Amino acid sequence: MVSKETCRNELRVAIRQLSDRCLYSAAKWAGEQLVGIEQDPSNSTPSNTRFQRGSSSIRRRFSTNESISTPQPSVGFLQAATPLPEEDEAIDGDLYLLAKAYFDNREYRRASHVLRDQMSKKSVFLRCYALYLAGEKRKEEEMIELEGPLGKSDAINRELVSLERELSALRRTGGIDSFGLYLYGVVLKEKGNESLARASLVESVNSYPWNWSAWSELQSLCTSIEILNSLNLNNHWMKEFFLGYAYQELRMHTESLAKYSYLQGIFSFSNYIQAQTAKAQYSLREFDQVEIMFEGLLRNDPYRVEDMDLYSNVLYAKEACAALSYLAHKVFLTDKYRPESCCIIGNYYSLKGQHEKAVMYFRRALKLNKKYLSAWTLMGHEYVEMKNTPAAIDAYRRAVDINPCDYRAWYGLGQAYEMMGMPFYALHYFRKSIFFLPNDSRLWIAMAKCYQTEQLYMLEEAIKCYKRAVNSTDSEGIALNQLAKLHQKLGRNEEAAFYFEKDLGRMDAEGLEGPNMFEALVFLATHFKTHKKFEEAEVYCTRLLDYSGPEKEKAKSLLRGIRMAQTGFPTMDLEHFPI
Amino acid sequence: MAGLTRTAGAFAVTPHKISVCILLQIYAPSAQMSLPFPFSSVSQHNRLGLYLLSITKSCNDIFEPKLEELINQLREVGEDMGAWLTDHLINRFSSLASPDDLLNFFNDMRGILGSLDSGVVQDDQIILDPNSNLGMFVRRCILAFNLLSFEGVCHLFSSIEVYCKEGHSSSTQFDASNNKLGPLTQYDQMDMESYAMDKATEELELHKNARGSVPFHLHTAEALFEVTEGLLDTRKETSRTSKKSTEATAVACASSSTLEDTLVDDSLFLRTNLQIQGFLMEQADAIEIHGRSSSFSSSSIESFLEQLQNLAPELHRVHFLRYLNKLHSDDYFAALDNLLRYFDYSAGTEGFDLVPPSTGCSMYGRYEIALLCLGMMHFRFGHPNLALEVLTEAVRVSQQLSNDTCLAYTLAAMSNLLSEMGIASTGSVLGSLYSPVTSTASSLSVQQRVYILLKESLRKADSLKLRRLVASNHLAMAKFELMHVQRPLLSFGPKASTRHKTCPVSVCKEIRLGAYLVSDFSSESSTMTIDGSLSSAWLKDLQKPWGLPLISKDSDSRKSSTFFQFYDHLVSIPGSVSQLIGASYLLRATSWELYGSAPMARINTLVYVTLFGDSSSSSDAELAYLKLIQHLALYKGYKDAFAALKIAEEKFLTVSKSKILLLKLQLLHERALHCGNLKLAHRMCNELGGLASTAMGVDMELKVEASLREARTLLAAKQYSQAANVAHSLFCTCHKFNLQIEKASVLLLLAEIHKKSGNAVLGLPYALASISFCQSFNLDLLKASATLTLAELWLGLGSNHAKRALDLLHGAFPMILGHGGLELRARAYIFEANCYLSDPSFSVSTDPDTVLDSLRQASDDLQTLEYHELAAEASYLMAMVNDKLGRFEEREEAAALFKRHIIALENPQDVEQNMA
Repeated sequence: MVSKETCRNELRVAIRQLSDRCLYSAAKWAGEQLVGIEQDPSNSTPSNTRFQRGSSSIRRRFSTNESISTPQPSVGFLQAATPLPEEDEAIDGDLYLLAKAYFDNREYRRASHVLRDQMSKKSVFLRCYALYLAGEKRKEEEMIELEGPLGKSDAINRELVSLERELSALRRTGGIDSFGLYLYGVVLKEKGNESLARASLVESVNSYPWNWSAWSELQSLCTSIEILNSLNLNNHWMKEFFLGYAYQELRMHTESLAKYSYLQGIFSFSNYIQAQTAKAQYSLREFDQVEIMFEGLLRNDPYRVEDMDLYSNVLYAKEACAALSYLAHKVFLTDKYRPESCCIIGNYYSLKGQHEKAVMYFRRALKLNKKYLSAWTLMGHEYVEMKNTPAAIDAYRRAVDINPCDYRAWYGLGQAYEMMGMPFYALHYFRKSIFFLPNDSRLWIAMAKCYQTEQLYMLEEAIKCYKRAVNSTDSEGIALNQLAKLHQKLGRNEEAAFYFEKDLGRMDAEGLEGPNMFEALVFLATHFKTHKKFEEAEVYCTRLLDYSGPEKEKAKSLLRGIRMAQTGFPTMDLEHFPI
Repeated sequence: MAGLTRTAGAFAVTPHKISVCILLQIYAPSAQMSLPFPFSSVSQHNRLGLYLLSITKSCNDIFEPKLEELINQLREVGEDMGAWLTDHLINRFSSLASPDDLLNFFNDMRGILGSLDSGVVQDDQIILDPNSNLGMFVRRCILAFNLLSFEGVCHLFSSIEVYCKEGHSSSTQFDASNNKLGPLTQYDQMDMESYAMDKATEELELHKNARGSVPFHLHTAEALFEVTEGLLDTRKETSRTSKKSTEATAVACASSSTLEDTLVDDSLFLRTNLQIQGFLMEQADAIEIHGRSSSFSSSSIESFLEQLQNLAPELHRVHFLRYLNKLHSDDYFAALDNLLRYFDYSAGTEGFDLVPPSTGCSMYGRYEIALLCLGMMHFRFGHPNLALEVLTEAVRVSQQLSNDTCLAYTLAAMSNLLSEMGIASTGSVLGSLYSPVTSTASSLSVQQRVYILLKESLRKADSLKLRRLVASNHLAMAKFELMHVQRPLLSFGPKASTRHKTCPVSVCKEIRLGAYLVSDFSSESSTMTIDGSLSSAWLKDLQKPWGLPLISKDSDSRKSSTFFQFYDHLVSIPGSVSQLIGASYLLRATSWELYGSAPMARINTLVYVTLFGDSSSSSDAELAYLKLIQHLALYKGYKDAFAALKIAEEKFLTVSKSKILLLKLQLLHERALHCGNLKLAHRMCNELGGLASTAMGVDMELKVEASLREARTLLAAKQYSQAANVAHSLFCTCHKFNLQIEKASVLLLLAEIHKKSGNAVLGLPYALASISFCQSFNLDLLKASATLTLAELWLGLGSNHAKRALDLLHGAFPMILGHGGLELRARAYIFEANCYLSDPSFSVSTDPDTVLDSLRQASDDLQTLEYHELAAEASYLMAMVNDKLGRFEEREEAAALFKRHIIALENPQDVEQNMA
């Protein structure tokens, strides 16, 4: 276990170095983690302690049995202590200072021009980085200028070619530091050379692990667990952050949760870790916990917009209108032109049933970020609600093309086609979505329903799907009921009785009542009666007597029949006698 | 929603259009223009005008020529003014140094348009009528430029830079260090270029002087080209681009090569939606036609499509083309993926001309077309049950949305599926089928269902005036009539007529009805096809008139010739129509084959190959070749057949399961059987069987063929009981899958087996059954051969039946001699001789020639066929007869022949080595 003190010292230096190189988002991230480490007792200020007390009380509220303050036992591997690199220039050149000022004013080309003859590694990096950003900015502008009738979007960052040439030359001669390697990796990734980009990024993080931007670029290149495992990474506590993030994106939520809970031993108050944990829990559908976590997060960091779209999803699922509107208002005031904000507002309107408005906000989110996955999917949902199936299909398809692992969009596609009366066509999409999330009973049930439609009527396949749904903890109990009914329909009374009994047991355990209950009881009573198991039949009949309605009458007549049969009367179907 | 309907972006100014404008300025200089080009003659001027006319037409094409190509064309067109034109063009471009110059340029362009009302026109000034083609072009350019925002002007400006730079970097190789071109170095290059051109013209002058008075229009263009080629040697490799053709491969090659150079190919300017659709349609045709031929690479077209997709992400039809491409390269997963993607994005409303858009697409989209396509895809990949499910859904959905057109197509596809795929008559699949059309007659056999579906589809197509569908339905109907005996669907009482015969007349009628399409296809062909093919047709025209030596200076005549070419393109038959008509010829050939007329079959195939070979899909062309080669093997022997096969193999890819591969195996098997090389025959037979899919009901034809050949191999190996077993199970399969025609030949084979095993009595009923099958299906040739077998069986019962056998044989003789192959003829001859010889009332010595002639004929035929076993028999008989007659010399000759055949039969390896 690495000591908190080391982390703290390393991060402090790193933040300075990162912001000196204008890598602001990495610096921001490092700063968050620095504050996330438990308070340094030596220089605590009252405001700090207040801040931390609040957050820890939240944490205690939802996880009481787990002590937070005691560090986790060491996992037992050696952490390679990476020495902090020396600054190559003790005093920055005047030109560098000017360039940095330009950069901070977002005058990228000017910044790079100022540094045109500087040969120190730091200056070279800043020059290239500024050039890259200038190219990116121009690209964004061109994208809008050049948009043709067919969505022609051949806008590219025109600096990439020269940057790649220069950086690769520098890399060959060794005139490049880890920041330069990071930039090289980014450039290579944009040019589509993924394996080389990965190698460059790995080199960068191995020599300078505190650059979170490099780690997240590396994560985006790890599209499968095999690639992730093949990376040759030095051990460092930053690697744990990376692994947690990578596992999460590869939908290995429990592994990722384990990483985060380990890291929480050091960074007990890190908002980042808390948000990531919440994300993982969300994927595991633990909505209550997630809500509590986000509440805590917002209390600590009231102007946070990142990840809040997820929170809004939770609120949507829980149909908490008021809370959702409060959240929407809050982010709206903070920064209304963030895709997340638009998404939250869209969710709110959707919950209110105003789908046109919701679509408008999702569109706005997409205008701000074309590759914003969840907005596409959510927009698809809205179109489904508006019965505009082609548009819904289009939206879902875009989501799938951005990320083929998005099971929600695949599911949406299946649903849309099923709505249009094309169940056989829809099956393909359901299969796709199940492929990415095989343990979700909802998907299995949807597929089973598809098989069950009157057009297909492939009941055997439906039964198979329901069985899978039962195996993966079907919380709503649809599958058991349907299994029983299907077997009943196919005349397999033994199986039907088995599943009815199981379903009844589930309903008893959860204390539920309803038509399903009557149905099960009536079936079981008649079933056992016809099989001459009168005791069981009587039990079910007496249970039915507790309820009023036609079932009660049915139970009475059944009981009468049972008595008759037991007393040895000739078996006659009494029910059919006119009384 | 984006992607659902986007109006086509109209006319955009591109560097190429600016080039054209510059040339137009030369053609019709405005009054203020400082340096008008001195045209040496009116015809020269007219020639430039014509060229400009064609080039403005081709501006509607998808690809625009690069500057370099334009210069090449100018050189060919312009003769001696070409150099000057090029020079001017380049200078004009180099003078465009800032966006403001562009603005001025277009202001100047206004000057060359004559105003409608102004009467003040100088005598020698050429005024462009604003309503003429060229005038319209200029006006459109000006309008498009005026609509541009400042950003647009900037982009145009930078693309002009790229345009010029490319023109130079490809023509002159400069140091790579000069890469950061300022306008200065660019200017250097231009000097270089014009210097080269000057040099060229100088040398040309020299040439001309040396040759004296050569009529310049005959040589100039070419000579100039040669000279410049010498100077700028890099031209050589790039000159291929001057022969720009819209053929898919060429375009794909060109674009893929540029793909390597730059990430995004700037030469690819996108045109309007409609034109791209037309272009893509052409590509689709190309994929279909060349799908299997070796000259076509699917990867090149794939990379081209990928590029197109990058440029136009909202052009969803590209996905469809990728699907087609993948379909033809047998990549199931990619094909499925692309198909689904296409329909997800476009909702089936983009690019399908099945339905005229005026009927309006409902807000539900046209996903039933997706189902139809998916069904056909499953069909092609050999999943008949899946395909049937999907098509059933397609029927249901199109009925729901009352899309009758799609319904008609779906029904046709379904009937096609049912008739092609062997679906057992027990019909577990059809049992679960819920289909409103077919459910009315759930107790019907598969054949009857096919019939109903076809009729229904035909009726719908007819009422919707879908000519092509009507035609293909007629063809399908003809096929059906050919293969199946018509029975009334519902028969009431004893009086219901039961005709147990196919009706060749109705087959003929259906085929002819199908071919009527050619006369009235035009009513259906949509505007899009015409537009798309026309815009590229113009480019084709471009090469033609200028590449030819210009025989007459009279520009009027040339103009009319271009006009006629243009007109020609208008009336030319769309590819799909000629394909259908071609298919009708193939079907004719097949039906004649079945009915047993070899010459008619051959003629029809030849007609197909000569007339429709270009437009046919590769699989149809393959089939035609196959038929011709089979014909060769049957009538001309194996040597010719194998030589022809080699040619066919070069033409078509021999991927697994291709027809050519099948044919090769068949031929090898046949030949091995005849040579007595049973091991080889067995191997070939197994390989043939291995090609078939293991799934039930798929590749039925192939499976039947393989087991038929297996039985024949076993028969040749004298393993009679096994052969009979195989044949029996084959008969059962045929019965199960309702393959009537195959049944006839299996029965004949059974008779053959019994005959060979010496069980003539057992063989008789089989032979008779086969004959009756042949009769009801009008299979005349097969019937003749069955009759021969029957006669042989009679003779096998004893020599007292010789007379009867002879009578039978003579009855079948005309058919056999007229249409039978070498083997059948030889067999008949030998058998005739046998009959005579075993007839006690016949004496050899009185009439030796009757026997000897037949035997000689048989022996000749068998020589070419290399059928050693029968040949040995023939020579043996000949030797015996000659011995009887006392002709010893001839006897020895025949005996030697006999010996040679026997040795060859016993040592088949030698033959095989020779063959290899």
